[in-house]
Amino acid sequence: MKMLGQILELASSNRVEIPLIEPLLGMLPPPLSELAALPLWKPLFAALVVPGFATLGLLLLLLPWIERKLCARIQWRVGPKEIVSWLGGIIQLLADSLRFLFQEVIVSRDSHRPYFTQFVLLSFIPALLPMLFVAAGTIIAIRTEYSVQIMLALVCLFPVFILGMGWSSGNRFAFVGTVREAFMYFAYEVPLILSVIAMLLVFGTGDPVAIGESGRLGIVLNPLAALVFFIATAMGTSRLPFEIPEADQELAFGPFIEYSGITFGLAYVLAYEKLYVLSALFTTLFLGGGSGPMIAPLGELSGALWFVLKVIVVMVVFAALRAIYPRFRLDQALKAGWSSILAISLLAIIISSVEVVMWA
Amino acid sequence: MVVEEAKDRNIRIVQHGVFAPLRRWGIRWSLWPVHFVTSCCGVELAHSGACGYDMERLGALNYGIARQSNFIIIEGTITRKMARALRLVYEQMPDPKFVSLIGACGERGGLFWNSYNITLPHEIVPVDFFIPGCPVTPEGLIRGIRAVQEKIEGRGRTTIEFKCAELPREGGEARLVPSSPKFLAETPTVRIDVPREGELPERLKPLAEEEGVRVTAIGKNRVAIRTPAERLEEIALRLKELGFDHVKSVNIVDVPHERRMLVEYVVSSYSVRELMPVLVSLFAYVPRVSPGLQSLKHVWESADYCERELQDLFGVRFEGNPWQRRFILAPEVEAPLRKDFRLEEESYVLGEAPLAPKIEYPPEPLSYYLPVPDEVFEEAAKNDEFVLPIGPHHTGSGHLRVILRVKGDVIVDAIPDPGYVHRSMEKLAETKLYVQNIPLFERLSIADPININLGYVRTLEFALGVEPPERAKLIRTMLAELSRIGAFLYDAGIFSLFTGHSTGFMYTFSMREMLLELFVRMTGSRCTPSYVIPGGVRWDVSDEALKLTKNFTSAILHRLSKFESIFVNNPVLMERVKGVGVLTKEQAINVGIVGPFLRASGVEYDIRIAEPYEAYTELEWDVPVADDGDCLARFLLRLEEVRQSLNIVRQAVEALERTSGAVIAAEVLGEFKDAPDIRGLFFRTLGDICLPRGEFTCLTEAARGTLLFSILSDGESNVPYRVRVVTPSWMNLHGFMEAVKGQRLADFWAIYGSFGYFPPEADR
Repeated sequence: MKMLGQILELASSNRVEIPLIEPLLGMLPPPLSELAALPLWKPLFAALVVPGFATLGLLLLLLPWIERKLCARIQWRVGPKEIVSWLGGIIQLLADSLRFLFQEVIVSRDSHRPYFTQFVLLSFIPALLPMLFVAAGTIIAIRTEYSVQIMLALVCLFPVFILGMGWSSGNRFAFVGTVREAFMYFAYEVPLILSVIAMLLVFGTGDPVAIGESGRLGIVLNPLAALVFFIATAMGTSRLPFEIPEADQELAFGPFIEYSGITFGLAYVLAYEKLYVLSALFTTLFLGGGSGPMIAPLGELSGALWFVLKVIVVMVVFAALRAIYPRFRLDQALKAGWSSILAISLLAIIISSVEVVMWA
Repeated sequence: MVVEEAKDRNIRIVQHGVFAPLRRWGIRWSLWPVHFVTSCCGVELAHSGACGYDMERLGALNYGIARQSNFIIIEGTITRKMARALRLVYEQMPDPKFVSLIGACGERGGLFWNSYNITLPHEIVPVDFFIPGCPVTPEGLIRGIRAVQEKIEGRGRTTIEFKCAELPREGGEARLVPSSPKFLAETPTVRIDVPREGELPERLKPLAEEEGVRVTAIGKNRVAIRTPAERLEEIALRLKELGFDHVKSVNIVDVPHERRMLVEYVVSSYSVRELMPVLVSLFAYVPRVSPGLQSLKHVWESADYCERELQDLFGVRFEGNPWQRRFILAPEVEAPLRKDFRLEEESYVLGEAPLAPKIEYPPEPLSYYLPVPDEVFEEAAKNDEFVLPIGPHHTGSGHLRVILRVKGDVIVDAIPDPGYVHRSMEKLAETKLYVQNIPLFERLSIADPININLGYVRTLEFALGVEPPERAKLIRTMLAELSRIGAFLYDAGIFSLFTGHSTGFMYTFSMREMLLELFVRMTGSRCTPSYVIPGGVRWDVSDEALKLTKNFTSAILHRLSKFESIFVNNPVLMERVKGVGVLTKEQAINVGIVGPFLRASGVEYDIRIAEPYEAYTELEWDVPVADDGDCLARFLLRLEEVRQSLNIVRQAVEALERTSGAVIAAEVLGEFKDAPDIRGLFFRTLGDICLPRGEFTCLTEAARGTLLFSILSDGESNVPYRVRVVTPSWMNLHGFMEAVKGQRLADFWAIYGSFGYFPPEADR
């Protein structure tokens, strides 16, 4: 009982402040109100609601729909619609995921069974862990000086899991896709890290809340770094024109070719999860995180709202790429990654250094 | 799994269980058709996926491969070879899975009924819904998806209830089809070198004086050279020296009552301008039993694939051809084009076999065979290469299988495995009246129907000596060019899809949608008009349709420019296709590719110029030629051709607006000369035409290149003795395979798209 009290006290000391629901909590008698406020404990709230689990889940259900709708619009057609006609088919992804859930999961004879089934679940580690370090405005689960670096490190783990998935599939196309994934990894990883380093130089800290509160827009401070980060994200999340490892028409989803049912559903959202993490990073570093006009009744949620909106905009831009570009060839992407993009990222570092020196 | 037991099994799966309502709802709105294109209805499937009809509205997203989807739309014909693939794909899919079947040929064979290579898909996999049509319309296809959705919900329905209607009949005589002169000649005279008026080209004169060689002029620019079988190679070499540098067709005619076969090489020239229109049929007789044939692959590389094909079709062996395995046929069919091969109909009449084709499945999936010998794998392993079989079920393969040997990212060798849509048209044509073959051959390429029609009909006209009236010629020219535009738009759509650009696909198909509307207005059908008939066209085009066509030629420009700005001028595309898949002029001539792809390699050869037909000489237009021979040149050249075609269409419309008159030759109408057009008189006037004795070969410039029809008539029956069709895609296959070698793996699809390779057209 005493421990519970302590926990509640701890929770109430570090609470997400939302003026809108304060009166509601106040109406409850004391122990109940504190229990009800428990989910508002900042680390818990960040992990479970925003920017964590709930937001991610909602975006995963919405973003493919937005992507399909947007591409359809560009392509002079309608996209998913008939499922709920008056809402423009917004729950299409719900139907798709239900279908995946209830479909048979086939493990092919040639695959390495333990790895094949485990890697698709394990790959959620690098997808979900960075959520703890993303700051939606001031809401963050674990606030450290090194949040950005840790996020980057976790994101860089992604390809390992995809390699594992492709490798254990025992399929020729998965094999080619896996090799391509490995190559692409080399193409974008260095520029990505360099561009983040450039921004860390400017901000002088890896704490996303501090970066957000500094009130400086990274994209203005160092547009080249933003460009490199953008292209590297497109490469890293297999968006067109760099959809090379999965290459629908060439390799039929490369590393994921053997996955079926819910395992494919999980593999399918994997790229979107990575996109979410990288978009969150992009928003934090270049778009000012949760900065924006304060909406008073929402309190701290206001920053979170701006943050999520910005992330959605970034993700939609990535989604629109699908309708605009054809696909590069592997060697071309590699060449670009190792020459021009790398050069630009080095330039970005120089710009940052100059800025740091001038302001110091 | 026996199909009967499996019937509705998946429907039962979704009907039971605690979560059944949720499951049904989810599956219903998420029927993802697997990307498994099996036959020509795939064109209409593409249309229903494109922006005109947009299947995705219903949540049906055409997607990837077997593992991730739950719905097969079987597009019509399933050949024996494809049947294995179909079964394999079905078994690969996770439960619950559904099948709908589109097209008449999937139901009872349709137009290809009685073919030796057709199976009944519902005996291979359980089918949930049948959608008739040949080809189905996109509306019908989408209705089929809806029906499957309702079936999942538990509301099975029979959509059509046939009613018996008693129609009152008012007097008059019954209009019956004339009985055909069915006297069966025991020993028909089969001859190729029937002399007809025409001159021998100067260059061939020395050959004519040769001992044992008989040179005959069999028409204008048509020469037949008969040699003894053992001198075939020698004469071939002589011909090659004279400038005949490529083979247009290789043909075998089985003459069982003379106990021999006739081997024929139809050759022509790309390099010598005066020889361009000349076709030389070099032929020899060989014994029918144990025919030892000398391959001429080393003389004319372009003969290679035709020889491989004939090995399957006639059960012969070409000594010297490196390919001695099955090429286009499934293992269980033996020498079907020999005259003693019995089709189902015959076997049924003779009481030998049931009417349904029988297909036996290999017991192990491993024997769903790869057509390549084991040595290929061994050799690849030794050289540190990777063997990658692509297709026939692959998102980027269509109905073709190619076995690629890849070293690193570079393709070392490409072995084609065509024949997945081989509907045996050449054999079927021997069982049908001449005019019944018009719609049959149209199915070669429903993306380019008018040109195919024109090719066959012109051969008939050439044989019968019928000249269509001026107005009919103009209409044909106009429609042929529209058809050329349509085929380009289709190929450009597939090209953009293959380079990963779905927007380009949608844009071109929206333009095609406009074009098909024009076809509907003028001919009454979207893809299979059968509008061109011997002696003219079926009926006149209305002024309204002409106005619409004129509007189309300017309306398309706007959309074409949008397509160009998003796809053609896309920097990524330029990067992808420039300098990729180069065929030099020499290579192109050597492998005998045809049409725009040949012109992209710098050869100025166009049948419309070399041997003008229809109204092409009266109109002003250019033949674009490029020198690069790469993917970009092939694509841009065809784009330029579209502009020329629009130009031709515009001129033809203007000329048509000025003129009026008959659209069918008077000699065809005969006693019905007062009739405005052929409607109602078709079978009475054309039903029993019988071609004179001899072989008639006609070239037509179809959208993808030279189309060769060669009809051999015995002079007394109302069905052809042998029809040889060589389609542009078939001739381009060799060039395609050559262009792929040495390129990177991802370039395979760019090259595929740039060649506009259309498997139903190639496989026949």
